[in-house]
Amino acid sequence: MGTDGFGPHVAFYIGDIPVSETVTVTWFIMAFLLIFSIVATRNMKKEPKGLQLFTETLVKTINNLTTQNMGIKNAAWAPYVGTLFLLIGISNIIGLLGLRPPTADLNTTMSLSITTFVLTQFFGMKSKGPLKYGKGFLEPIPFLLPLNIIGELANPVSLGFRLFGNITAGVVIMSLVYGALGSILGLAVPIFEAGIPVVLHIYFDLFSGVLQSFIFTMLTMVFVSGAME
Amino acid sequence: MSMDLALRLGLVELNWNFVFQLINTLILFLILRHFLFKPVTTFMQNRENEIKNQIQDAKNLEEQGLAFKGEYEGKLKHAEEEGKEILRKQTQIAETKAIEIVKSAEAEIESMKVSAQKELERERVKAINELKDQISELTILAASQVVQKNLSESDHKELIDKFISEVGDTRWQN
Repeated sequence: MGTDGFGPHVAFYIGDIPVSETVTVTWFIMAFLLIFSIVATRNMKKEPKGLQLFTETLVKTINNLTTQNMGIKNAAWAPYVGTLFLLIGISNIIGLLGLRPPTADLNTTMSLSITTFVLTQFFGMKSKGPLKYGKGFLEPIPFLLPLNIIGELANPVSLGFRLFGNITAGVVIMSLVYGALGSILGLAVPIFEAGIPVVLHIYFDLFSGVLQSFIFTMLTMVFVSGAME
Repeated sequence: MSMDLALRLGLVELNWNFVFQLINTLILFLILRHFLFKPVTTFMQNRENEIKNQIQDAKNLEEQGLAFKGEYEGKLKHAEEEGKEILRKQTQIAETKAIEIVKSAEAEIESMKVSAQKELERERVKAINELKDQISELTILAASQVVQKNLSESDHKELIDKFISEVGDTRWQN
């Protein structure tokens, strides 16, 4: 802990435990999604338009994505897939509001990827039976058991660090760019901070953000359905 | 507060926030499942089912309508044929009747003719008989006149001529 570096700020303490702005921004996102869900599902008409049309399209897209990647029998996974997609997606682009993306914190990305890992193992065992599932680690030859286990354990790590790395890189580069632009010519008003970072915001926040949330959810579906098959 | 805000956690470290984010993710999952995915998916499913049912109903109605149409077309055709049949029968009956009427009329005419001829015959016979009676009367009359008067030859002849002219052709026709 210190005042330097690019880590998340401490928002407040619970006893001795420091709670970072990652958690508070996540609460903000949760509140937004809760209000959105309640408002969007109120007074649903048979003929959708406006907000309802957007909501239906969103839910339908996530449902379709889930059934296409995991099969029609796993349609119940859509809420989890949607949670990942919406949480990561909004987290990634919330940098546009000047907030620190929760996904730029290893605690967030690892909690998500480890959740996926636990679900993968649990549903793999549940669907195949523990014995058959364990036997899968001995294939194609038992000699490869250690490698298979390492490979399995590498999944959540790579999943979490990929997201964390991409978003954190964006955050670091953006703050460096802002710092550099603010110090050009030593002007009292950092006029260069206006306009120029937009291109980088579009890439790091919008493009990379949406792409990474998509990658995370896709890989989650692939891992879970792969373990279940 | 600004001191606290300035304080940063490490960039790459796992700490208690991991647990908070785990709980947050779980809560968000429950929120989205309950408030977004379930109602919207159920709503869309219901609407889909409703539309499917409506399409099915429409199909059923169409089939029913077509069946009715076929039925009524059949009935109509049947009725037409029946009408033709009735017309044909009635025409036949009428023709038969007409023929009968003509025949009976002819027969009546024939019988009338026959009875008229008979009547005529009777009349003729009656006339002849009357004539015969008259002739016999006349004969008797002539005879009585002959008996009363002593007739001369010329009287005789005259009488006979008279008689013949009186009786006339009637006798010969007899």
